[in-house]
Amino acid sequence: MSESHSHARELTPGDLRLPESSLFARLPAIGGVIGLVGLGAAFGLSSADHHRIDFWMSLLTAFMYFLSIALGAMFFVALQHLTRAGWSVVIRRLAENMSMSFPVFLALFVVITLGSGHIWHHWMAEGAMNDPVLKAKEAYLNKPFFFIRAACYFAFWLWASWFMTKRSASQDESGDVSHTRVLQKWSGPIVVGYGLTQTFAAFDWLMSLDPHWFSTIFGVYYFSGSVVAFLAFMNLVIIIMRKGGILGHVVTTEHQHDTGKLMFGFTVFWTYIAFSQFFLIWYANLPEETIWFDHRMHGGWDKVSIALAIGHFVVPFLFLLPRPVKRNDFLLGLGSFWLLVIHFVDIYWLAMPPHYVDGLKITASNVAAFVGVGGLFLAAFGWNLRQRNLVPAKDPRLAESLHFQNNWG
Amino acid sequence: MLTKNQAQEQQLQLSDPIDRRAPLILGNPSFNKITEDICRPIEGKTHVVWWLYFFMAASILSILGGALGHLIYNGTGIWGLNNPVGWAWDITNFVFWIGIGHAGTLISAILFLFRQKWRTSINRAAEAMTIFAVMCALIFPGVHVGRIWVAYYMLPLPNQMSMWPNFRSPLLWDVFAVNIYGTVSVIFWYMGLIPDLATIRDRAKGKIRQIIYGFLSVGWTGSARHWMNYEKATLILAGLSTPLVLSVHTIVSFDFATSVLPGWHTTIFPPYFVAGAVFSGFAMVATLLIVVRKAYDIEHIITIRHLENMAKIMTVTGSMVGYAYCLEFFIAWYSGNPYEIFIFKNRAFGPYWWAYWTMFTCNVVSPQLFWFKALRTSPVAIFIISIFVNIGMWFERFVIIATSLHRDFLPSSWFYFSPTIWDILTFAGSFGLFFTMFALFLRFVPMVAIAEVKSVLPQADPHFEGEMPKDDPSPAPARKAVAESEEEGDLMPATAVARQGAH
Repeated sequence: MSESHSHARELTPGDLRLPESSLFARLPAIGGVIGLVGLGAAFGLSSADHHRIDFWMSLLTAFMYFLSIALGAMFFVALQHLTRAGWSVVIRRLAENMSMSFPVFLALFVVITLGSGHIWHHWMAEGAMNDPVLKAKEAYLNKPFFFIRAACYFAFWLWASWFMTKRSASQDESGDVSHTRVLQKWSGPIVVGYGLTQTFAAFDWLMSLDPHWFSTIFGVYYFSGSVVAFLAFMNLVIIIMRKGGILGHVVTTEHQHDTGKLMFGFTVFWTYIAFSQFFLIWYANLPEETIWFDHRMHGGWDKVSIALAIGHFVVPFLFLLPRPVKRNDFLLGLGSFWLLVIHFVDIYWLAMPPHYVDGLKITASNVAAFVGVGGLFLAAFGWNLRQRNLVPAKDPRLAESLHFQNNWG
Repeated sequence: MLTKNQAQEQQLQLSDPIDRRAPLILGNPSFNKITEDICRPIEGKTHVVWWLYFFMAASILSILGGALGHLIYNGTGIWGLNNPVGWAWDITNFVFWIGIGHAGTLISAILFLFRQKWRTSINRAAEAMTIFAVMCALIFPGVHVGRIWVAYYMLPLPNQMSMWPNFRSPLLWDVFAVNIYGTVSVIFWYMGLIPDLATIRDRAKGKIRQIIYGFLSVGWTGSARHWMNYEKATLILAGLSTPLVLSVHTIVSFDFATSVLPGWHTTIFPPYFVAGAVFSGFAMVATLLIVVRKAYDIEHIITIRHLENMAKIMTVTGSMVGYAYCLEFFIAWYSGNPYEIFIFKNRAFGPYWWAYWTMFTCNVVSPQLFWFKALRTSPVAIFIISIFVNIGMWFERFVIIATSLHRDFLPSSWFYFSPTIWDILTFAGSFGLFFTMFALFLRFVPMVAIAEVKSVLPQADPHFEGEMPKDDPSPAPARKAVAESEEEGDLMPATAVARQGAH
């Protein structure tokens, strides 16, 4: 199979910068316009009933979806430093640039706060605390603490992504290995902080939509999906870039094969976590827990639940398992695109049922909010791509990554 | 003891260089030296220390025999089980031992898929440990039925009474999961052993030895075709074993989590149990290998770097376990369910508070010490902490089991579990089985995967352009000749060919 290896030996200056004409270089403008128009449309097209809950929920869903990609990217970067990985150096900067989109999410979260009383009205509304079960959790579920926590999560994410990207980019100039040393040292605490913040963010922003319900695994569930979504997005970016002649000699089929394998692995991991959660609740059959799945077993949501099991596991598992699929641009791209779609279904399925108890409903506002938040996320990604080299040009392990081959079978 | 050259490379390893990868095996040994170093303990005269160790382990094993004999004669009444606590040390020991096994599978399967080449120095011993741990684990479900002569009821065997085990019970799934796990682990381990058994066969000087190892090495010649098949089989078995690492302890966690008992029923149990299993398994691997590398003078093959990596995995998995402990507590409170809240308060501050805090300190606090490089690169510190982790992980299972049972919904039936001497002797005796098997392993099987370690030496790289390391002077010239003509002439180039062919 040696013909499929494109052996890159040296970086050329042309590999480091985005050509002005490329689609990626124009993302800030295109994405920004699409983003603002999309968000405007999401508001305009939403039904005015119930304090425009249609709009607020659409926004939250799209927010949680794209946030998961950024979080996955941040986790990936920290993990590469933690494990002293060599293979991934040439794609690490892409992940760094994805993780630098947190300012956009902060801005979106500020918008979301305006509708927080409607989104989380089950516990934020006046009189919600008359319910003795909710009263018992008031020490956690109260507005001031909720916003303080959100501030902590964002502070940590903004700092950690900035810290890792900044250090990595400074190394491009100086080639100083001490940056690598510092990053390796801090990657451990960053992964710990990441684990805690994303767990509680998932509790706060998704699980508390149905404040009676609880599941210890819920944070891990959101984590597993976020890594799948990040890897799928990463694969698509790599494939589209290489088709457009960007990084073509730097990122090879070998790297793609590895991100493909990781994506496959995390798809199975997601299934494992999703199954554990469903199965234990189903088996024990306690009403206070089954109510959450009960909402998702009626009125069209049952079909979504089945679609998730098939689309998020059976299809990608069988499709991505063969080695040639992961080494083929079109097929891996197709698999990645599919996972990005089904991950949205997953987030939609997590967020929406408490508000659409009468049955599954897909509104224009849902679609527009997705396009809008997606546009802003892509704009931030494109803007960051232009800010620094596309590859950590002086990373001490760059050569290892350039010469990387999957030669273990 | 390390030579000067090896010690220098160890310094390089410990400095964690960024501009290059430090060698995994110290002192730039030749292929022949690796063979010699690993084969020495199984070819020389039995060392007196080995005999001492073996007799100690076998004596403890005989305690197990006595304890089980007494149990079979008298029934489970000899244990301290009482009415609310109908499950105690037996299931605790079962889960403890099954958990220990997980490190071996993680090392041989998952670390293989992740291209962690350092695993080659430790996978053989870790996999052996897995198999012995599964053996120890299987004792407990077998004997806890009391009437051991009907232990086969655990299996769904057709019978004239039309009696079947309950297929809806996780206990039956456990029977399947553990048996599959044991079977696949043995196959994987044995397949990895074949090239090394062939090495022993080729070096054998006695006829009996030649026949036995010849039989066990199933006609291995070291041809390129054999290596191709070997590498393919390794990949497939690694792929099959990877889900097993997760499934076995997941099913074990289902034994508890599918119930509606507060403290047992929580959704994070499956991944939490898997993390705990890997955690305890690595602790046990570290405990054993720290002694083995010293005793058999293979500190240049199982280096401090290997120990450091294991310590890091213990910190990761120990932190995951800590995350689960804390989340369980938080969600118990958040659920607003008074029974859940009660059981967790009772765990930490009730009559078993001492067990809970032993568990918490050993499992969550002690692995955090590995954040300090000085501690995670000190064999003594790792040894001590790994023992703490082993203790903590036993207590974890005990705490989960006993504290959820001993105070059930009816306060009039509350009771406190105390083990009898037979509980203690049975558990202690299982260590006898484990260590006896391990002693036999050390004496009769290459304790490090010879062929695999060679494959991570610099000269095994098909693109290697440097000078081949000179053979160290061998103590037995006759043996060296055999090794050169049969071993070095054949095996390694074939591996290189196979590896090139595989991609």
